[in-house]
Amino acid sequence: MSRTRPPALSWRYALNRVGQALLVLAIAFTLASVLLAILPGDAIMARYANPELALSPDQIEAIRVQSGADRGWFAQYLTTLAGFLTGDFGYSVASGAAVSDLFAAAVPATLALAAVGLAAAVLAAVAIALLATFGRQRWLRAVFDAVPSLFISVPAFWLGIVLIQVFSFQLGWVSVVDPSPAEALVLPALTLMVPLSAPLAQVLIRSIDEVRAQPFVRVTRAKGASDGWLLIHAIARNAALPALTMAGLTFGELVGGAVVTETVFGRTGIGQLTSQAVANRDNPVLLAVVVVSTAAFVLVNLAIDLLYPVIDVRLRTSPGDRGAPGNQGGHSLRAASGQADAPATAPADRQEAGA
Amino acid sequence: MSRPHTPAHTADPGEPAPRRAAARHGAPADRGTPAGRGTLASRGPLAGHSTLAGHSTPASHSALARRSVLGLGLGAGSALALSACARPDTDPAEGGSPLTGGVLVYFDPQAWQTLYPPQVGFYPNGGIMNNIADRLLWQDPSTLELHPWIAESLPQINDDATAFTFRLRPGVTHSDGSPLDAANVKRNMDLYGLGDDKRQLPPSEQISNYVSGEVLDSRTVRFRFSAPSPGFAQAVSVMNAGLLSNATLTRDSQGFGPGSADRIIASGPFVVESEELGTRLRLRARTDYDWAPPHLPHQGRPYLDGVEIIVGTEYSVRVGALVSGQADAIRQVDAPDEARLTERGLRIVAAATNGVTNSIAMRFPHPLLSDQRVREALIAAVDRKRILTKLFTDNYPLATGILAHSAQGYKRFDGAWRHDPAQAGRLLDAAGWARDGGATRVKDGAALALRVNDALPQPRSKEVMTLVQEDLAKVGIALSINPGDMATQDADALSLERIQLYHSMVGRADFDVIKSQFAGTRRNALLNYDADTKKYRDPQLEKLLDRVSSEPQEAGRRGASWAVQDRLVDRALVLPLFEEPQVYGFRRRVRGFACEAVGRPAFYDTWLADAGERAQNGGPRR
Repeated sequence: MSRTRPPALSWRYALNRVGQALLVLAIAFTLASVLLAILPGDAIMARYANPELALSPDQIEAIRVQSGADRGWFAQYLTTLAGFLTGDFGYSVASGAAVSDLFAAAVPATLALAAVGLAAAVLAAVAIALLATFGRQRWLRAVFDAVPSLFISVPAFWLGIVLIQVFSFQLGWVSVVDPSPAEALVLPALTLMVPLSAPLAQVLIRSIDEVRAQPFVRVTRAKGASDGWLLIHAIARNAALPALTMAGLTFGELVGGAVVTETVFGRTGIGQLTSQAVANRDNPVLLAVVVVSTAAFVLVNLAIDLLYPVIDVRLRTSPGDRGAPGNQGGHSLRAASGQADAPATAPADRQEAGA
Repeated sequence: MSRPHTPAHTADPGEPAPRRAAARHGAPADRGTPAGRGTLASRGPLAGHSTLAGHSTPASHSALARRSVLGLGLGAGSALALSACARPDTDPAEGGSPLTGGVLVYFDPQAWQTLYPPQVGFYPNGGIMNNIADRLLWQDPSTLELHPWIAESLPQINDDATAFTFRLRPGVTHSDGSPLDAANVKRNMDLYGLGDDKRQLPPSEQISNYVSGEVLDSRTVRFRFSAPSPGFAQAVSVMNAGLLSNATLTRDSQGFGPGSADRIIASGPFVVESEELGTRLRLRARTDYDWAPPHLPHQGRPYLDGVEIIVGTEYSVRVGALVSGQADAIRQVDAPDEARLTERGLRIVAAATNGVTNSIAMRFPHPLLSDQRVREALIAAVDRKRILTKLFTDNYPLATGILAHSAQGYKRFDGAWRHDPAQAGRLLDAAGWARDGGATRVKDGAALALRVNDALPQPRSKEVMTLVQEDLAKVGIALSINPGDMATQDADALSLERIQLYHSMVGRADFDVIKSQFAGTRRNALLNYDADTKKYRDPQLEKLLDRVSSEPQEAGRRGASWAVQDRLVDRALVLPLFEEPQVYGFRRRVRGFACEAVGRPAFYDTWLADAGERAQNGGPRR
């Protein structure tokens, strides 16, 4: 792979990106703290003012003092911030379990679900895009061209319920009570796949259409290249960039999708943890969810930015040529495409449309 | 056993008629009588059940599958419409003697939160604690009488009910091998009676005036109280006084939370084997269990090998799992689905909760409600029977008192909450609330507009309140329903400005239940106690409530409870709607299910009719 290795990153670029990531994290953490503080009721209320317990207001107040929840918002914010900086996520107020324990149980399950769902979504998107653009019949292309719009309009919770009803309760193919690990994954991953694949497929279809219309494609075809060769060597590579950007952005969708999917299927995971934490005003858990998912989002998108030059040779510039090394992927893409050594500037334009 | 509504069965119009008739027998035959509520014992054969089993031929099954595909296209939003097409449950519903073995798969709508006994009132918590911990006394859920359990006899109580002496049964051990002796019992009650602020463990609401416990010998323990506490005997029979091992009692609030379930050690018929955070928990039978309440015919180990408790937040998934046979039992079946489930051959058990009825407390300290005529008008405006026929089934009886008819201290009030909209109008006119052409009555420029909470734990609270809203609008009272989730509702419920009509209920099988609902230091449903000024708006009511828990003798407590109820009715402070049950759905193979006195499941007597077959197939069935 040495031929396609991206140029060495400059220190300034790396520092800049890390700085940006930290800033995003800090803003997310602060915003989340403020919003949670504004919500009516707090975790002490949610847990101890529950009428099932029938504690007197004085008893609740005592617990509030004991747990430190009586201090002002800012004091609590600072304590939590200090905790997060030292890697201590604190304890769930609703259950008392350590947030790190809750995460240790939830993260692998969600990662497995997200990975399978995303992989399935990518496969589905590629299949849909190919059928919509290279399909043999016109009607076939028309049908698959419409699939992304259909997929994006299907509510995830509804889809989940229908899948469970049909495949588990009607056909009995998958058990919800005693599933094998694969069984436990397949329906949730399908549920997650559908809304994820829609934007990917849509962007791929448009990219392929546009790349195919480029003059260089006609030239290559005239030189005798077959459809298959063209697809793999010329079109796929050019059309992949916008789709990759899209994949990074849909990571946010994954987190949201996990909330619905894990709730419907009763799976352990970050999504299920989040929905329960919201119901219980469990701020330590919610803050950890916000910070961890923001961190993941930032990392994934950083990784994708770094992947661009691997895929697109036009984006490989020696450090010296680089006009603005601190730019984000999208920007460097645009900056670089001006001096591209291969076909046209079309991918960059679509990149904007796709994002 | 006639039902007021026709069981609608939209998904399956071509249903053979005989099964429809049989479905009405699907529920326990003894549902109506108080003694039978909450038990699913084999009680007399239900004629015709097994003869109606011939519905599930392969041919009809494929027809059903086709229909399910149709259902998908038409409106799969109704999940039950889909699952209605699954094979009906045609196992024989009765008969046979208990079999040992098998794992019961049980779906609960919510995840458990804590196993600290005083806080296990929340259903999912109680469903676990009730099965893993024993208590000093056992309360018969049908008669509400107390019987010995870990205590080998009823306690000796002094004349003013300030000292209780228990003699313990020998040889009881916790599942970690430690003995359940007098010192252990004392440590339990010290914690539950006093709480521990440092560990954020509050005391039990059922135990008042606790001073201390004293170990007289290894099998005798005495508890002292600063004031008469006749409710203590009942308080040690509930799951909130579940007896834990010494090691467990040193845990703090965190240590009782999720993630620690398998380290909550007690002496009960089941032990927690494992948990998956937030999604499932496994109970395993204790095979050396040998100290069931002597009152029960069943002794020794539980019949089941274990119980798999699965959290199914999504209602359609719970119902679908039951209908398809993947689940054996589910908690909480909504009233509209009862008929459809019984038509599928499933069984419905409505467990009584024996407490304050599902009712609306009218917060008289609020200026709009301070005039008794307004409160009386509200009562006269609401058509309770319409609410019940529109939204509920026979399992939800119309309230005839402040308390449920099976509760301790029940007093019947005939005609106290009569529906008479014309009278409501007259009362409001007399109170000076004029209609002035508008939809809502006004007085001195202020509109007669009230807000009620959305009681999320109560069945169909929002629908109930929507009907109340309609009724009140007819007489010129505007009612809004407070939006928000559980935490918002709980927070708002403490504020007179936010909530003037408070919809709630409380289950507790003791005279004290009325105090739990209305006393200022408890739920304070009427906001009689003002937390800001620390004063009671109606000190007389609070005084009467205090008497309920301090009269040493039963007759005195009943009298005190009646006095409270008289005052609540005379002053038109409460509008009771119905007696709230906890409704479970079961496959027919599940036998002997019972609940404790407030509707939490007790799996000790439960057994599976095909336990033997399942054991051969190995493990829980698919």
